[in-house]
Amino acid sequence: MKAIKLIKVMGKLEWFLAALIAITLLNTFLGEQFSSTTLVCILIALTVTYKGFIVIDHFMELKHANKNLRFLMKCYFVIFPSLIIVSAFY
Amino acid sequence: MSSHLVEVDSAKRFNDMKTPPINPSLGIFPKSWSEESAGRVPGNIPIWVGILSELTEFALFFVAYFIAKFYYPDIFSQGPQNLHTSLGVANTIVLLTSSYFMAKAMSFIRINDKVKCEGYLWLAFSCGCIYLIIKTWEFHWNTLQGFSANTNEFFTVYYYMTFNHFIHVGWASCAILWVIFRLRRGAYSAQENSGLEALAVYWHMIDLMWILIFPLVYVLR
Repeated sequence: MKAIKLIKVMGKLEWFLAALIAITLLNTFLGEQFSSTTLVCILIALTVTYKGFIVIDHFMELKHANKNLRFLMKCYFVIFPSLIIVSAFY
Repeated sequence: MSSHLVEVDSAKRFNDMKTPPINPSLGIFPKSWSEESAGRVPGNIPIWVGILSELTEFALFFVAYFIAKFYYPDIFSQGPQNLHTSLGVANTIVLLTSSYFMAKAMSFIRINDKVKCEGYLWLAFSCGCIYLIIKTWEFHWNTLQGFSANTNEFFTVYYYMTFNHFIHVGWASCAILWVIFRLRRGAYSAQENSGLEALAVYWHMIDLMWILIFPLVYVLR
């Protein structure tokens, strides 16, 4: 019952925080349980991009702010996770 | 005649000085970059110059990481297995939570609830301190295991990245204390909170850098 009540009072920011922590734990599990295969690297890179986008849009509040700054920040979180995927083919 | 022109010119310049520029971004950017065209700049322009400089600095570290990994794939494959992964995970959760507290602090200053805003700032500061304690413990643990920046290429990159990030969390935590002091002096309100917002975006930038560092040094093998 307490858990249901907690879920009901959770706002948007709380959901995003829960998602970010869940993704972090998933990434760690993938890294610990599987050697870095190409698929694991791609999954980790995509989740890193997603985490970055959540922080940029909802914590930094760039979603409805300056579009150039948002573009630059998002580019960063496309370029470096892409390099993670590239590094999987080394 | 010429003295009359000089007087007109100086009067015009004086009027220009009194009139604020249309683009508050120091007038060095194209008009399409102005807040009127591109949207509001959270915080202020100087903090974004700082943030973009920091992003460039970390970008160089990330590039160095990928180049080193290309030349020493075996060392970079074994490196993360020597680290205390649980401490890395704990620090990630602490920093994500601190970003949440900072976002809450911003939401409360916008409704002029300074007490709750200060409470969330203290929580964010506590997270910063916990991060620093965990990281110090991790560096100490590494030393006990016999690892240092000179152990191999992986540890060199690891120490460069994480120690640099450690310093950023340290001074940003001090900045939180300064903002709490200013908040108590009545510097921020629902109408004027650009200083607090500047700190918030800087803090989120530090969190973003850790989001990238964490998988590179702890997860990818």
